[in-house]
Amino acid sequence: MLRTILAAGLTAGLFVSAGTFLAAGVTADDISARAKKLHFSATVVDTHDDTTQRFLDGKFDLGPRDARGSIDIPRMREGNLGAIFFSIWMPSKITGPEAVDRALVQIDAVREQVRKHSNDLMLATSAAEIREARKQGKIAALLGVEGGHMINSDLGVLRSYAALGVRYMTLTHSGNDEWADSSTDKPVHNGLTDFGKDVVREMNRLGVMVDISHVSDKTFYDALEVSKAPLIASHSSCRAICDAARNMTDQMIKDLAAKGGVIQINYHVGFLSQEFRDAEKAKPELEKEIQAEINKRCGDNEGCQLVEGDRIVREYMNAGKLPRVDYTKIIEHIDHAVKLAGAEHVGLGSDFDGAMMPFGMEDASKLPRITEALLQKGYSEGDVKKILGENTLRVMAEVERVSREPNGNK
Amino acid sequence: MRRLFAFVCVSCCLCAGHLFSRRASADDVAERAKKLHFSSIVLDTHDDTTQRFFSKNYDIGKRNPDGHVDIPRMREGGMNGIFFSIWIDGRIMGPPAVQKALDQIDAVHENVRKYSKDLTFCRTAAEVREAHRQGKIAALIGVEGGHMIGNDIRVLRMFGDLGVRYMTLSHFYNDEWADSSTDKPIHNGLTDFGKDIVREMNRQGIMVDISHVSDKTFYDALEVSKAPLIASHSSCRAMCNHVRDMSDDMIKALAAKGGVIQINYEKSFIDQGYKDASEKQSGGVVAVFDQLKKECGDDQECFGRKMVEQEKQATAEGKLPHVSWERIVEHIDHAVKLAGVDHVGLGSDFDGATMPDGMEDCSKLPKITEALMRKGYTDDDIRKILGGNTLRVMEQTEKVSRELQPH
Repeated sequence: MLRTILAAGLTAGLFVSAGTFLAAGVTADDISARAKKLHFSATVVDTHDDTTQRFLDGKFDLGPRDARGSIDIPRMREGNLGAIFFSIWMPSKITGPEAVDRALVQIDAVREQVRKHSNDLMLATSAAEIREARKQGKIAALLGVEGGHMINSDLGVLRSYAALGVRYMTLTHSGNDEWADSSTDKPVHNGLTDFGKDVVREMNRLGVMVDISHVSDKTFYDALEVSKAPLIASHSSCRAICDAARNMTDQMIKDLAAKGGVIQINYHVGFLSQEFRDAEKAKPELEKEIQAEINKRCGDNEGCQLVEGDRIVREYMNAGKLPRVDYTKIIEHIDHAVKLAGAEHVGLGSDFDGAMMPFGMEDASKLPRITEALLQKGYSEGDVKKILGENTLRVMAEVERVSREPNGNK
Repeated sequence: MRRLFAFVCVSCCLCAGHLFSRRASADDVAERAKKLHFSSIVLDTHDDTTQRFFSKNYDIGKRNPDGHVDIPRMREGGMNGIFFSIWIDGRIMGPPAVQKALDQIDAVHENVRKYSKDLTFCRTAAEVREAHRQGKIAALIGVEGGHMIGNDIRVLRMFGDLGVRYMTLSHFYNDEWADSSTDKPIHNGLTDFGKDIVREMNRQGIMVDISHVSDKTFYDALEVSKAPLIASHSSCRAMCNHVRDMSDDMIKALAAKGGVIQINYEKSFIDQGYKDASEKQSGGVVAVFDQLKKECGDDQECFGRKMVEQEKQATAEGKLPHVSWERIVEHIDHAVKLAGVDHVGLGSDFDGATMPDGMEDCSKLPKITEALMRKGYTDDDIRKILGGNTLRVMEQTEKVSRELQPH
């Protein structure tokens, strides 16, 4: 009975993109030799992972393989994840010096993990350092700050984050901050304030990538106009396929690309699948139920909440209470963005350990499936490599170049 | 004339045995001292100049009519290494203290970037030596007070990663885990957490600074730390009985573990007569500080200006005695006699204290070299005091840090 519903869900997925038919049948064991070779020779860069939250209770460690969550060193190795942006995050409602203090603590947590696992991890702050880490057989660990509220309207704090290795900042999280509107809040600034524009300029000067995931459409366009360097959408998908404010419209994707930027596709089922979104909206009681279950399992431990939320939602999908979303949906979004903007402007921004993952992409070890599916769709090996990481590396190098321009130094 | 007379007198009184220095002509010594001074690494472990970065009227790149430190005067005084102090009122704690400290650390970095032809940011002794080779001034950072880490060892690590190379365990007030010399003891020295902080500083290669702390905190830190300690800006209690200074026993104990006392030039810390008069006049340094804080709030410009004005006026009215810069040399000499020449350095407290006559700013530093030479100190000994000893502690701290890293 359950299977029937799941199958219906799967069919719906295929209906949207008939081309992924073959990919849907792929399992970890039957990645083709060609895909394997390509995937394991590529530099795979993931621009958004919330694993940092798991470091905070002091119990989780990246070293051993973990039964929960999506990221640890063994599974990154298995999926050849070569560079990972650890996200520094706290809810938008935490502001002021408290937010600064907490952000520092998270930056420390990442750096401590890198120090602890120096045989496997290397802190990277540039494209060249990511390549150097690859050469040494290490995974590059990078830092992204997910929300401008964490600088407390203080460019000195932004500069300190940059000095500690932060290489992108998402201008907002779910709520507006003091100088930028979020896509999931009521606009109060009409995009970026004048100070918000100064923040973007300072990010250019510092070589910190401007991330427009989470921000309102107007904030996106303001940032696009002000920034001298290309932007990234570190973890956003396509609104044309799934109508979430967190995703980008076709026009936004084209405009982002026209200035050299990259949209890194988010794997969250609620951003991938319209059907899932509609079902969620139609059954608000489910969300409450899920939240109650999360609270029961985790209390107020944020890291646990994120990881358990992911598991519970897949349990609900498995039980037929929510439409099943398959990882092929990720491919569909990649393909949509590529068709719109070209293969130079799409990348990967999983949102692992911070969102609900589709079946078949439960953790980082499953990443070779993306390579396999793209090859099966007829993508050239060169294009696949770009999507896996080269595009993000190109933006990083360009952002670094802009930061070195003398007129960038006021 | 008068000055010359005073100079010779002090020299004779303090070290009669150095015939050579008396035989040599004044000009000859002056010339040799100049040569020595300007070829040495002169590393000052404590300057409050950071506060001035927040004033629109101050520019470290230009000669300023007030204050004690800017690039032209550092060049003139041969001061080619400086620890910029990160400091906020010890009663500000928690996240606000952390953010304010970050702002000041950033201000140092920004000024170094702005004047990168003259300044180089340094984290290690080797980097200080390299800056010296390149003819640049080495800029370093020290955090003056454990309250700024917000009671959180992780914030300490981030300060370390931002380039902080020493932390004074407390300022005028006790913090959450260490007693100050100028507050009522509540922790009996260092708490267990305070000891963990010292261990973490060892691991991070951040020097443990025991200026400002209570005697018990000093002895606790000395016991716990695997690396030598510094007293970044303290003088000798035997010569001026101030709690901010170190007793002879403390200096000896500090030295026995390889540490360095960097002599503070503040008049109340080097001259008993001045200290007594100042306490009579205004209740001492902490009281003066509190009064100015009340008058100026967070306006550091106002704070600095009023401190100088009040002090000048009281001196002019004869309420406070004149103190000569030679007192600094006397403190150096006292500490050297106690602990040996390997354990004394310079920690002026420029831009954070009242300077004695003749040491009005950092351009006057060559006087110290000349005075030591006249006292018969060898060139090597003088180099150690000017900066070599501090570099040795930095190297030792770096070595301990490497040993404590996980393998």
